[in-house]
Amino acid sequence: MGTLVSMSESSASNPAPVRRKLSAGPLSTGDKWFFRSTSIAAYFSFVLVALVLIFLFLKAWPALQEQGVAFVYGTTWVAEDGQPLVMQIGPMIYGSLLIALVGVLIATPMAISLAYMIVFMLGDRLAKVFTTLIDLLAALPSVIIGLWGFYVFTPVAINWENTLHQYLSWVPLFQVENPENAFRGSPFIAGWIVAVMIVPIITSVTREIFSQLDKDLINGALALGGSRLTVFNKVILPTSSGGVVGGILLGLGRALGETVAIFYVLQISFKINWGQLLESRGGGVASWILARFGEASEGEISGLMAAGLVLFVITLIVNFVANTIVNRSQPWRKN
Amino acid sequence: MSFAPRPAVQPWKRANNARRLQIILAAIVPVLLTALVVMTSGLDANLATIVVFLPLQILAAGLVGFRAYGRRGIGDALLVVVTIFLSAFVLVMLLSVFFSVLSEGSRTMSLQFLSQNNVYISNTTSLEYGGVANAILGTLLIVGITTIVAVPLGIAMAVYLTQSQSKLRGLVRTVTQALSGLPSVVSGLFVLSIIVTFGFTKSGIFGSLALFPLMLPTVARVAEEALKLVPSDLRLAALALGAPNYKAFFQVILPAAKSGLITALLLGLARVIGETAPLILTVNTNNGTSWDPFNGPMETLPAYVYGYLSSSFTSAHQRAWGGGLVLLILVAVLFGSARYLGRAKSMKSKPTKQKASK
Repeated sequence: MGTLVSMSESSASNPAPVRRKLSAGPLSTGDKWFFRSTSIAAYFSFVLVALVLIFLFLKAWPALQEQGVAFVYGTTWVAEDGQPLVMQIGPMIYGSLLIALVGVLIATPMAISLAYMIVFMLGDRLAKVFTTLIDLLAALPSVIIGLWGFYVFTPVAINWENTLHQYLSWVPLFQVENPENAFRGSPFIAGWIVAVMIVPIITSVTREIFSQLDKDLINGALALGGSRLTVFNKVILPTSSGGVVGGILLGLGRALGETVAIFYVLQISFKINWGQLLESRGGGVASWILARFGEASEGEISGLMAAGLVLFVITLIVNFVANTIVNRSQPWRKN
Repeated sequence: MSFAPRPAVQPWKRANNARRLQIILAAIVPVLLTALVVMTSGLDANLATIVVFLPLQILAAGLVGFRAYGRRGIGDALLVVVTIFLSAFVLVMLLSVFFSVLSEGSRTMSLQFLSQNNVYISNTTSLEYGGVANAILGTLLIVGITTIVAVPLGIAMAVYLTQSQSKLRGLVRTVTQALSGLPSVVSGLFVLSIIVTFGFTKSGIFGSLALFPLMLPTVARVAEEALKLVPSDLRLAALALGAPNYKAFFQVILPAAKSGLITALLLGLARVIGETAPLILTVNTNNGTSWDPFNGPMETLPAYVYGYLSSSFTSAHQRAWGGGLVLLILVAVLFGSARYLGRAKSMKSKPTKQKASK
């Protein structure tokens, strides 16, 4: 104690020496090049994002300039020979959001159930099998999901839609004007297809967070007399909610960018569909790009580039928010 | 009625035979009842699953739960039944995808389907002629070129993220994560805009370029996980013995993380091999066989499936199923080998996985 006091006294009389700069830089030339090349690789990701933005913007600019702000919210798309181009993707953006929302609403309970089952109900071996299966679902190409959705799932889903319409038509969501030409190609079906594709990502984020929960917390709650349900409601969900929300947003980002699978099961229409899920018209930015691309003129290609740019910016924002939330709720992942 | 106290709840006791019987009954009776209802009343099976089976199952499980654990057993039963039901639903969908592709695709599958190309084949040609050999070749070439560039770059990124002390690591990680959310159609449009700007003609190499931004983040992320699993003691020991960083990496870390890095490669491949939209936007389809990714059109498996599915002929759709099966097999093989290699890795990491905090 005494020495400590004397030290502080002495440091009061003569000011502390300037802190020596510690350097941990690479010593040899080989190391310099090693770190230099890896950092070039790392910075390349910045370059890549910038390049995507710049090139898309360059090509999209003519269309954006011509169409103005209405490009984002307008509801007409005229691209025929001899007529002035009118390109507005309002219904497509809204349709993308609607389908992604339906997909997320369907996928979230399933993903949380799966994660709960894998982490808290199954033995080690079965849990591994389930995890592998879910990861495999994530690896399925979207063209295969589209094939399946078109041939196998659509008839089944039309059956569901019929039932929903029959018994729940008083809910505005399930109303249709004319059941004769509804159901096929509806946002409902597209939402399910998207749900199949985003269940794996939400499940894997949720599972990761569930499995890292403090076991003492859960055992403590059980010891206090909590049941499975109360522990799930009062302990597991509140402590992991941040990460789960992040996972859901990641799924949302994935859902917004889904292209081919939706292209096959959705009837694209520029008559905006505000929320009649069973009506056979919907929209999707990515699917619209794919649908128009084949026969597009140069002017229209520019409009499609602009649509792609809008899509990219939206998914970039959603993903950024999602990743921030997920990273913040997984402090053990920091190295 | 006497008010004899209910026997105390003893959750730690193993289930006796009566309890087992209850559980078995609770698992079987709702199914049987639902089947009975469907058969007698002709109610739609989908509807019956939700309206009859699920409530009955919850009721049955609730009863068993109540008898075993009292009131709290009911909530548990609800949770367990709903969880299993929803999980089973996802699995049924997944298996349905597999089963339909396998059963439909195998009808198209034959040696000739795998070995011939698509020349002179129209939508109505008999399935005895034509095949996907050119598409398989094109896919392998295009994805191969992407892999040659993306894998070293992705691993270098992972090295940067795990070994360097740079302050920009967080930012690099964020950007890479953002890149992994890049919609595939946007990646295709990006390359298309390059093609249009510089007046190139579409060819296989641009398909590779369009797949590159999709593959890179996957490889970087999985490789980072793999490198993190190598104990830092190994690296520090090598450094302490006087090895420079690059030697520590190439002679100590790389061999230790080899299987993980191959997993990164395989998962990256599985990620891009089925990508459709970028290839449709940047590569023209080709019925013949092309070995040259730098010139002219080239067929790829996803484009093959897409092309035939867009046709309005049923025989053409049969070809799409066949192409889909080949694609599914490729993905499954890649994924399966990645899992197989990753197994040893996950066992090593097991002891450090669960660490009680506080």
